[in-house]
Amino acid sequence: MTVILIPAFNEADVIADVLGEIKAACDFPVIVIDDASTDNTVAIAEQAGATVIPLSAQLGAWGATQTGLRYALRNGYDTAITMDADGQHDAASLAALLEPVSTGATDVAVGACTQRGSWLRHIAWKMMKQTSGLRLEDITSGFRVYNRKAIRQLAGWRATLLDYQDIGVLLLLQSKGLSIVDVKVPMQPRRNGKSRVFHSWVMVVYYMCLTLTLGLSKRKFAHRYRSPYGAH
Amino acid sequence: MARIEQMISIVTGSIGLLVAAIIIFMMRRDTLHAQHGMGWIIVALCFALLGFSPEIIDYIAQNFGVAYPPVLAITMAIAVLVIKILLMDIERSRIEVRNQRLIQRMAMLEADLKSLKKNPPDTTGLKE
Repeated sequence: MTVILIPAFNEADVIADVLGEIKAACDFPVIVIDDASTDNTVAIAEQAGATVIPLSAQLGAWGATQTGLRYALRNGYDTAITMDADGQHDAASLAALLEPVSTGATDVAVGACTQRGSWLRHIAWKMMKQTSGLRLEDITSGFRVYNRKAIRQLAGWRATLLDYQDIGVLLLLQSKGLSIVDVKVPMQPRRNGKSRVFHSWVMVVYYMCLTLTLGLSKRKFAHRYRSPYGAH
Repeated sequence: MARIEQMISIVTGSIGLLVAAIIIFMMRRDTLHAQHGMGWIIVALCFALLGFSPEIIDYIAQNFGVAYPPVLAITMAIAVLVIKILLMDIERSRIEVRNQRLIQRMAMLEADLKSLKKNPPDTTGLKE
Protein backbone atom coordinates (compact mmCIF):
# COMPACT_ATOMS: atom_id res chain seq x y z
CA MET A 1 0.00 0.00 0.00
CA THR A 2 1.37 3.36 -1.03
CA VAL A 3 0.42 6.79 0.25
CA ILE A 4 1.31 10.29 -0.87
CA LEU A 5 2.16 12.78 1.89
CA ILE A 6 2.04 16.51 1.23
CA PRO A 7 3.01 18.97 3.97
CA ALA A 8 1.28 22.29 3.30
CA PHE A 9 1.40 25.75 4.79
CA ASN A 10 -0.81 28.46 3.26
CA GLU A 11 -1.00 26.81 -0.17
CA ALA A 12 -4.67 27.58 -0.90
CA ASP A 13 -3.80 29.08 -4.31
CA VAL A 14 -2.11 26.00 -5.72
CA ILE A 15 -3.05 22.94 -3.66
CA ALA A 16 -6.17 22.14 -5.72
CA ASP A 17 -4.14 22.04 -8.96
CA VAL A 18 -1.39 19.96 -7.36
CA LEU A 19 -3.90 17.44 -5.98
CA GLY A 20 -5.69 17.35 -9.35
CA GLU A 21 -2.45 16.49 -11.14
CA ILE A 22 -1.64 13.75 -8.65
CA LYS A 23 -5.12 12.28 -9.04
CA ALA A 24 -4.70 12.28 -12.81
CA ALA A 25 -1.35 10.47 -12.51
CA CYS A 26 -2.17 7.77 -9.92
CA ASP A 27 -4.77 6.28 -7.57
CA PHE A 28 -2.76 6.43 -4.35
CA PRO A 29 -4.49 7.98 -1.32
CA VAL A 30 -3.26 11.51 -0.71
CA ILE A 31 -2.74 12.91 2.77
CA VAL A 32 -2.21 16.63 3.24
CA ILE A 33 -0.59 17.60 6.52
CA ASP A 34 -1.67 21.13 7.26
CA ASP A 35 1.07 22.99 9.11
CA ALA A 36 -1.35 25.36 10.90
CA SER A 37 -2.25 27.33 7.77
CA THR A 38 -4.09 30.59 8.18
CA ASP A 39 -5.86 30.42 4.81
CA ASN A 40 -8.37 27.81 3.64
CA THR A 41 -5.84 25.18 2.56
CA VAL A 42 -7.64 22.57 4.67
CA ALA A 43 -11.06 23.11 3.10
CA ILE A 44 -9.67 23.13 -0.44
CA ALA A 45 -7.60 19.99 0.13
CA GLU A 46 -10.59 18.17 1.61
CA GLN A 47 -12.76 19.25 -1.27
CA ALA A 48 -10.19 17.85 -3.67
CA GLY A 49 -10.54 14.46 -1.98
CA ALA A 50 -7.44 14.41 0.22
CA THR A 51 -7.37 13.32 3.85
CA VAL A 52 -6.19 16.25 5.95
CA ILE A 53 -4.17 15.97 9.16
CA PRO A 54 -4.53 19.37 10.82
CA LEU A 55 -1.60 20.35 13.05
CA SER A 56 -2.68 22.69 15.82
CA ALA A 57 0.71 24.42 16.00
CA GLN A 58 3.25 25.05 13.29
CA LEU A 59 6.00 22.40 13.26
CA GLY A 60 7.76 23.32 10.01
CA ALA A 61 8.01 21.27 6.83
CA TRP A 62 9.81 18.36 8.46
CA GLY A 63 7.55 18.27 11.53
CA ALA A 64 4.55 18.09 9.19
CA THR A 65 6.16 15.43 7.00
CA GLN A 66 6.98 13.34 10.06
CA THR A 67 3.35 13.54 11.14
CA GLY A 68 2.44 12.04 7.78
CA LEU A 69 5.05 9.30 8.17
CA ARG A 70 3.74 8.45 11.65
CA TYR A 71 0.23 8.31 10.22
CA ALA A 72 1.44 6.05 7.40
CA LEU A 73 3.10 3.73 9.94
CA ARG A 74 -0.02 3.59 12.12
CA ASN A 75 -2.22 2.82 9.16
CA GLY A 76 -0.04 0.08 7.75
CA TYR A 77 1.24 1.68 4.56
CA ASP A 78 4.45 0.11 3.18
CA THR A 79 5.54 2.96 0.97
CA ALA A 80 5.29 6.71 1.47
CA ILE A 81 5.90 9.35 -1.17
CA THR A 82 6.54 12.89 0.02
CA MET A 83 5.89 15.84 -2.28
CA ASP A 84 5.83 19.60 -1.89
CA ALA A 85 2.51 21.39 -2.02
CA ASP A 86 3.78 24.24 -4.16
CA GLY A 87 3.73 22.34 -7.44
CA GLN A 88 7.51 21.95 -7.77
CA HIS A 89 7.28 18.20 -8.09
CA ASP A 90 5.86 16.58 -11.19
CA ALA A 91 3.27 13.89 -10.55
CA ALA A 92 4.34 12.45 -13.91
CA SER A 93 7.73 11.46 -12.40
CA LEU A 94 6.09 9.37 -9.68
CA ALA A 95 6.51 6.07 -11.50
CA ALA A 96 10.23 6.64 -12.12
CA LEU A 97 10.85 7.62 -8.50
CA LEU A 98 8.78 4.76 -7.10
CA GLU A 99 10.43 2.07 -9.20
CA PRO A 100 13.72 1.50 -7.27
CA VAL A 101 11.84 1.28 -3.96
CA SER A 102 9.00 -0.94 -5.18
CA THR A 103 11.45 -3.40 -6.77
CA GLY A 104 13.33 -3.55 -3.47
CA ALA A 105 16.54 -2.18 -5.00
CA THR A 106 16.74 0.56 -2.38
CA ASP A 107 15.05 1.76 0.80
CA VAL A 108 14.80 5.44 -0.09
CA ALA A 109 14.69 7.24 -3.44
CA VAL A 110 15.31 10.98 -3.65
CA GLY A 111 14.04 12.91 -6.65
CA ALA A 112 17.02 14.99 -7.73
CA CYS A 113 17.03 18.05 -9.92
CA THR A 114 20.41 19.74 -9.75
CA GLN A 115 19.57 22.32 -12.40
CA ARG A 116 17.23 24.11 -10.02
CA GLY A 117 18.15 26.64 -7.39
CA SER A 118 20.26 29.74 -7.08
CA TRP A 119 24.05 29.80 -6.83
CA LEU A 120 23.54 30.16 -3.10
CA ARG A 121 21.71 26.85 -2.96
CA HIS A 122 24.45 25.18 -5.00
CA ILE A 123 27.13 26.40 -2.60
CA ALA A 124 24.98 25.17 0.26
CA TRP A 125 24.66 21.71 -1.33
CA LYS A 126 28.38 21.47 -1.88
CA MET A 127 29.16 22.40 1.73
CA MET A 128 26.55 19.98 3.02
CA LYS A 129 27.97 17.14 0.94
CA GLN A 130 31.49 17.90 2.08
CA THR A 131 30.69 18.04 5.78
CA SER A 132 28.23 15.16 5.98
CA GLY A 133 29.99 12.79 3.60
CA LEU A 134 26.66 12.03 1.87
CA ARG A 135 26.95 10.99 -1.75
CA LEU A 136 23.73 12.42 -3.10
CA GLU A 137 23.03 15.03 -5.73
CA ASP A 138 20.03 16.89 -4.35
CA ILE A 139 20.18 16.82 -0.57
CA THR A 140 17.39 19.32 0.03
CA SER A 141 14.81 17.73 -2.26
CA GLY A 142 11.47 16.99 -0.61
CA PHE A 143 10.39 14.66 -3.42
CA ARG A 144 11.18 11.27 -1.92
CA VAL A 145 9.96 7.70 -1.61
CA TYR A 146 10.43 5.79 1.66
CA ASN A 147 9.82 2.09 2.22
CA ARG A 148 8.38 0.67 5.45
CA LYS A 149 11.82 0.27 7.05
CA ALA A 150 12.63 3.92 6.40
CA ILE A 151 9.19 5.07 7.57
CA ARG A 152 9.68 3.20 10.85
CA GLN A 153 13.04 4.90 11.45
CA LEU A 154 11.73 8.35 10.60
CA ALA A 155 8.61 8.03 12.73
CA GLY A 156 10.73 7.64 15.87
CA TRP A 157 11.57 10.32 18.43
CA ARG A 158 15.13 10.69 17.20
CA ALA A 159 13.84 12.12 13.93
CA THR A 160 11.56 14.53 15.83
CA LEU A 161 14.66 16.40 17.00
CA LEU A 162 15.45 17.40 13.42
CA ASP A 163 14.45 20.80 12.09
CA TYR A 164 14.77 20.18 8.37
CA GLN A 165 14.28 17.13 6.20
CA ASP A 166 17.65 17.26 4.44
CA ILE A 167 20.95 16.20 5.99
CA GLY A 168 19.63 15.10 9.37
CA VAL A 169 17.04 12.75 7.90
CA LEU A 170 19.44 11.30 5.33
CA LEU A 171 22.21 10.80 7.89
CA LEU A 172 19.78 9.11 10.27
CA LEU A 173 18.71 6.70 7.54
CA GLN A 174 22.30 6.07 6.53
CA SER A 175 23.35 5.38 10.11
CA LYS A 176 20.64 2.71 10.33
CA GLY A 177 22.11 1.00 7.28
CA LEU A 178 19.35 1.98 4.85
CA SER A 179 20.26 2.58 1.22
CA ILE A 180 19.43 5.87 -0.48
CA VAL A 181 19.58 6.56 -4.21
CA ASP A 182 19.16 9.57 -6.42
CA VAL A 183 16.64 9.52 -9.23
CA LYS A 184 16.91 12.34 -11.74
CA VAL A 185 13.55 14.05 -12.19
CA PRO A 186 12.47 17.33 -13.73
CA MET A 187 11.16 19.98 -11.33
CA GLN A 188 8.98 23.01 -11.90
CA PRO A 189 9.55 26.46 -10.44
CA ARG A 190 7.46 27.16 -7.32
CA ARG A 191 3.98 28.31 -8.25
CA ASN A 192 3.37 29.97 -4.96
CA GLY A 193 5.61 32.03 -2.72
CA LYS A 194 9.23 31.28 -2.12
CA SER A 195 11.47 28.88 -0.25
CA ARG A 196 10.94 28.95 3.50
CA VAL A 197 14.72 28.92 3.96
CA PHE A 198 16.39 30.46 0.93
CA HIS A 199 14.73 33.87 1.00
CA SER A 200 16.52 35.84 3.70
CA TRP A 201 20.20 36.05 4.47
CA VAL A 202 19.72 35.67 8.19
CA MET A 203 17.71 32.48 7.68
CA VAL A 204 20.27 31.10 5.22
CA VAL A 205 23.16 31.75 7.61
CA TYR A 206 21.24 30.17 10.50
CA TYR A 207 20.18 27.21 8.37
CA MET A 208 23.69 26.64 7.03
CA CYS A 209 25.32 26.81 10.48
CA LEU A 210 22.72 24.41 11.87
CA THR A 211 22.98 21.99 8.96
CA LEU A 212 26.77 22.00 8.86
CA THR A 213 26.96 21.41 12.61
CA LEU A 214 24.52 18.54 12.23
CA GLY A 215 26.43 17.17 9.23
CA LEU A 216 29.75 17.29 11.07
CA SER A 217 28.43 15.91 14.34
CA LYS A 218 26.62 12.96 12.78
CA ARG A 219 29.12 12.26 10.03
CA LYS A 220 29.85 8.62 9.48
CA PHE A 221 33.54 8.23 10.15
CA ALA A 222 33.82 4.59 9.17
CA HIS A 223 34.31 5.18 5.47
CA ARG A 224 37.27 7.45 6.12
CA TYR A 225 39.22 4.57 7.56
CA ARG A 226 37.97 1.94 5.14
CA SER A 227 40.76 -0.06 3.60
CA PRO A 228 41.29 0.67 -0.11
CA TYR A 229 41.67 -3.10 -0.64
CA GLY A 230 38.04 -3.80 0.22
CA ALA A 231 36.42 -5.48 3.16
CA HIS A 232 38.29 -8.01 5.20
CA MET B 1 39.62 48.41 56.66
CA ALA B 2 38.68 45.32 58.64
CA ARG B 3 35.33 46.93 59.34
CA ILE B 4 34.63 47.38 55.61
CA GLU B 5 35.52 43.75 54.93
CA GLN B 6 33.18 42.66 57.70
CA MET B 7 30.39 44.79 56.22
CA ILE B 8 30.93 43.28 52.77
CA SER B 9 30.78 39.74 54.12
CA ILE B 10 27.58 40.51 56.03
CA VAL B 11 25.96 42.05 52.93
CA THR B 12 26.92 39.17 50.57
CA GLY B 13 25.99 36.57 53.18
CA SER B 14 22.62 38.24 53.71
CA ILE B 15 21.97 38.35 49.96
CA GLY B 16 22.53 34.57 49.87
CA LEU B 17 20.11 34.00 52.73
CA LEU B 18 17.57 36.34 51.15
CA VAL B 19 17.75 34.45 47.83
CA ALA B 20 17.29 31.15 49.69
CA ALA B 21 14.25 32.61 51.49
CA ILE B 22 12.76 33.85 48.19
CA ILE B 23 13.26 30.40 46.63
CA ILE B 24 11.50 28.70 49.53
CA PHE B 25 8.70 31.25 49.26
CA MET B 26 8.37 30.53 45.52
CA MET B 27 8.30 26.79 46.20
CA ARG B 28 5.54 27.29 48.77
CA ARG B 29 3.56 29.26 46.17
CA ASP B 30 4.24 26.49 43.58
CA THR B 31 5.88 29.00 41.24
CA LEU B 32 9.05 26.92 41.31
CA HIS B 33 9.10 23.15 41.11
CA ALA B 34 10.72 21.58 44.21
CA GLN B 35 13.07 19.64 41.94
CA HIS B 36 14.59 22.89 40.58
CA GLY B 37 14.26 24.77 43.85
CA MET B 38 16.50 22.27 45.64
CA GLY B 39 19.51 23.10 43.47
CA TRP B 40 18.95 26.83 43.78
CA ILE B 41 18.69 26.65 47.59
CA ILE B 42 22.05 24.88 47.66
CA VAL B 43 23.53 27.61 45.44
CA ALA B 44 22.09 30.36 47.62
CA LEU B 45 23.33 28.70 50.83
CA CYS B 46 26.84 28.32 49.35
CA PHE B 47 26.67 32.00 48.43
CA ALA B 48 25.70 32.89 52.01
CA LEU B 49 28.39 30.65 53.46
CA LEU B 50 31.12 32.15 51.29
CA GLY B 51 29.76 35.61 52.03
CA PHE B 52 29.86 35.19 55.80
CA SER B 53 33.23 33.47 55.84
CA PRO B 54 35.31 34.36 52.77
CA GLU B 55 38.29 32.65 54.43
CA ILE B 56 37.00 29.36 53.03
CA ILE B 57 37.77 30.50 49.49
CA ASP B 58 41.15 31.84 50.61
CA TYR B 59 41.94 28.48 52.16
CA ILE B 60 40.89 26.48 49.07
CA ALA B 61 42.78 28.87 46.75
CA GLN B 62 45.91 28.52 48.81
CA ASN B 63 45.72 24.73 48.64
CA PHE B 64 45.19 24.78 44.88
CA GLY B 65 47.97 27.30 44.36
CA VAL B 66 45.70 30.08 43.08
CA ALA B 67 47.44 33.41 43.74
CA TYR B 68 44.30 35.57 43.75
CA PRO B 69 41.45 33.77 45.58
CA PRO B 70 38.48 35.73 44.10
CA VAL B 71 39.41 34.35 40.65
CA LEU B 72 38.80 30.83 41.98
CA ALA B 73 35.37 31.84 43.28
CA ILE B 74 34.42 33.45 39.97
CA THR B 75 35.73 30.50 37.91
CA MET B 76 33.79 28.04 40.02
CA ALA B 77 30.65 30.15 39.70
CA ILE B 78 30.99 30.29 35.90
CA ALA B 79 31.57 26.52 35.73
CA VAL B 80 28.42 25.85 37.76
CA LEU B 81 26.41 28.24 35.55
CA VAL B 82 27.65 26.64 32.32
CA ILE B 83 26.75 23.16 33.58
CA LYS B 84 23.33 24.41 34.65
CA ILE B 85 22.64 26.03 31.26
CA LEU B 86 23.76 22.88 29.45
CA LEU B 87 21.42 20.77 31.57
CA MET B 88 18.61 23.24 30.83
CA ASP B 89 19.16 22.90 27.09
CA ILE B 90 19.17 19.10 27.34
CA GLU B 91 15.91 19.27 29.25
CA ARG B 92 14.48 21.73 26.72
CA SER B 93 15.33 19.40 23.81
CA ARG B 94 13.44 16.64 25.60
CA ILE B 95 10.42 18.85 26.21
CA GLU B 96 10.44 20.05 22.60
CA VAL B 97 10.35 16.48 21.31
CA ARG B 98 7.52 15.58 23.66
CA ASN B 99 5.57 18.69 22.75
CA GLN B 100 6.03 18.14 19.02
CA ARG B 101 5.04 14.48 19.20
CA LEU B 102 1.93 15.42 21.18
CA ILE B 103 0.91 17.97 18.55
CA GLN B 104 1.46 15.34 15.86
CA ARG B 105 -0.57 12.72 17.72
CA MET B 106 -3.41 15.14 18.33
CA ALA B 107 -3.49 16.00 14.62
CA MET B 108 -3.57 12.30 13.67
CA LEU B 109 -6.39 11.63 16.11
CA GLU B 110 -8.28 14.64 14.77
CA ALA B 111 -7.97 13.25 11.25
CA ASP B 112 -9.19 9.84 12.45
CA LEU B 113 -12.10 11.44 14.30
CA LYS B 114 -13.14 13.39 11.25
CA SER B 115 -13.13 10.30 9.04
CA LEU B 116 -15.09 8.36 11.69
CA LYS B 117 -17.70 11.11 11.81
CA LYS B 118 -17.94 11.09 8.05
CA ASN B 119 -18.19 7.27 7.81
CA PRO B 120 -19.55 6.03 11.15
CA PRO B 121 -18.96 2.30 11.75
CA ASP B 122 -21.89 0.05 11.05
CA THR B 123 -23.36 -0.89 14.45
CA THR B 124 -26.81 -2.00 13.32
CA GLY B 125 -26.01 -5.69 13.72
CA LEU B 126 -24.98 -5.35 17.36
CA LYS B 127 -27.15 -6.96 20.03
CA GLU B 128 -28.68 -4.72 22.65
